Amino acid sequence: MPLYLPIAELSMNIFLVIGMGAVVGFLSGMFGVGGGFLMTPLLIFMGIPPAVAVATESNEITAASVSGALAHWRRQGVDVKMGMVLIAGGAVGSFFGAQVFTYLRSLGQVDLMISLAYVLFLGSVGGLMFWESVRAIIRQRKGIKPKIKPREDRHKAWIHALPFKMRFRKSRLYISALLPLAIGMFVGVLAAIMGVGGGFVMVPAMIYLLGMPTNVVVGTSLFQIIFVTALTTIFHSVNTQTVDIFLAVLLLVGAVVGAQMGARVGLKLKGEQLRALLALMVLLVCAKMGIDLVVEPTELFSVGEAGSH
Amino acid sequence: MQKLRLITLFALFMFVGQPAIGLVTDLSNKRIEIRYSFNGADLILFGAVGSSAVDPVNDDFDVVIVVRGPEAQTVIRQKAQVGPIWINSDSLTFPAAPGYYAVAASRPLADIASNAVFASYGIGFDHLPLLAITPRGLAAPSSDFRAALFRLQSNQGLFRQEQDSVVHIGEGLFKTDIRLPANVPVGDFQVETFIFKGGTIKARNRIMLAVDKEGFERAAYDFAHGYPFWYGLVAVLVALTAGWLAGVLGGKK
Repeated sequence: MPLYLPIAELSMNIFLVIGMGAVVGFLSGMFGVGGGFLMTPLLIFMGIPPAVAVATESNEITAASVSGALAHWRRQGVDVKMGMVLIAGGAVGSFFGAQVFTYLRSLGQVDLMISLAYVLFLGSVGGLMFWESVRAIIRQRKGIKPKIKPREDRHKAWIHALPFKMRFRKSRLYISALLPLAIGMFVGVLAAIMGVGGGFVMVPAMIYLLGMPTNVVVGTSLFQIIFVTALTTIFHSVNTQTVDIFLAVLLLVGAVVGAQMGARVGLKLKGEQLRALLALMVLLVCAKMGIDLVVEPTELFSVGEAGSH
Repeated sequence: MQKLRLITLFALFMFVGQPAIGLVTDLSNKRIEIRYSFNGADLILFGAVGSSAVDPVNDDFDVVIVVRGPEAQTVIRQKAQVGPIWINSDSLTFPAAPGYYAVAASRPLADIASNAVFASYGIGFDHLPLLAITPRGLAAPSSDFRAALFRLQSNQGLFRQEQDSVVHIGEGLFKTDIRLPANVPVGDFQVETFIFKGGTIKARNRIMLAVDKEGFERAAYDFAHGYPFWYGLVAVLVALTAGWLAGVLGGKK
């Protein structure tokens, strides 16, 4: 059954769209990730203009993060104060990200920027994650238990030297607000140019840089993603009018169902195995994007997006 | 005075007597509405050659039908290798390229008339007049960019030539199919019909066709482009509500 998408200005099969949402939702439910990094490339691959894919996916992530954050909120797993600081940074980052996006779109270089950002960030995060999980699996086989550092030692000296210290009770931290501000800003830029929530950067940064306890990391990350992707949606709507609500809602319908099933499958797998699988998937998307950049395209010409109305 | 009136009458007669009067065309649908279920449209163009310079019963005549969509600024970009990667480097802007261009004919174009004839009327992929923005102002585009525009738009189903044929039904009656793909641009379309005989144009006429978004699709599009901030806000509110609903429903299981 075809459905005409008024903003993307093309017709897509409604079941295909819901199915895409379900598959990505299944994977994101299984691995506990947002899935933006899978959905945006998939949408582009299916022929949705990159600008529409990025902006619409931001919109869908807002919805997906609300349901996730609600569950963590009920378990007291959200550090609101930390979230606010991250959002403040994220708002600035997302604003500038959207400006850069609009500028590069007018130059016809937005596809290149999206591809480069994916290759760079998915490559490095996927690589690190894969290395870490393989090491954990090997250690487990050998029966070595990793030493756990005391919480006080987890911060590097330079972090303590930063000014504007704030107390984050829920995270049991007393650190400079500059650090979460900077992290939030960085993730905001990624959200605006890649059509992702940025959890794959945010969560490791919260654990390894900020030293937040793991029980509040995911909830706070989701809490922040709601607001930053909501702002990103508005920025993209104002700048380029590329948010397709209908596409976003259809994807969400599929994602909600898929995520429920994925979460059940995910419970049956071990943490390290899950992370290794996720890392492989991340690297796969990265490799696909990278190959497309390097291999000579069969068609060197393309019709630009600008001025198509 | 009398003389002037006679001349006017004669001129009028000449004008009326022009071949155009003998050609009538109509479309099965003159207004295409893009709604949620829109997946392209197929139209039928009917035409009849009547009392004109062409005698429909005894003469063989050829029909060429040209459909032109609304003109819009179109950018063609060319990739080049920079270091290890391929990036868009060169680009050419056509300030007014048609968003849709279809040529249907009763026989292969080459059999109907010479290139010179088609060129003088700007009919066909090779003769459609197109200008590009160059450093020296508006000028003819380089052949590779021009060819790329036609190739890319043809791949999208937006440019078509000699894919749909005009069928003679008999007694001067003919018909053809016009295919508009799902990604067709909205706006006013011109449908021009040319009657050829012996390699020259004997009659021509033009009718209009409108393609527009309707109902909900029109409202959503206008809202997004007219009030982008409010549209974005509504998109966020929809997402928040949908996410909250999903969370409440999912949490109960």
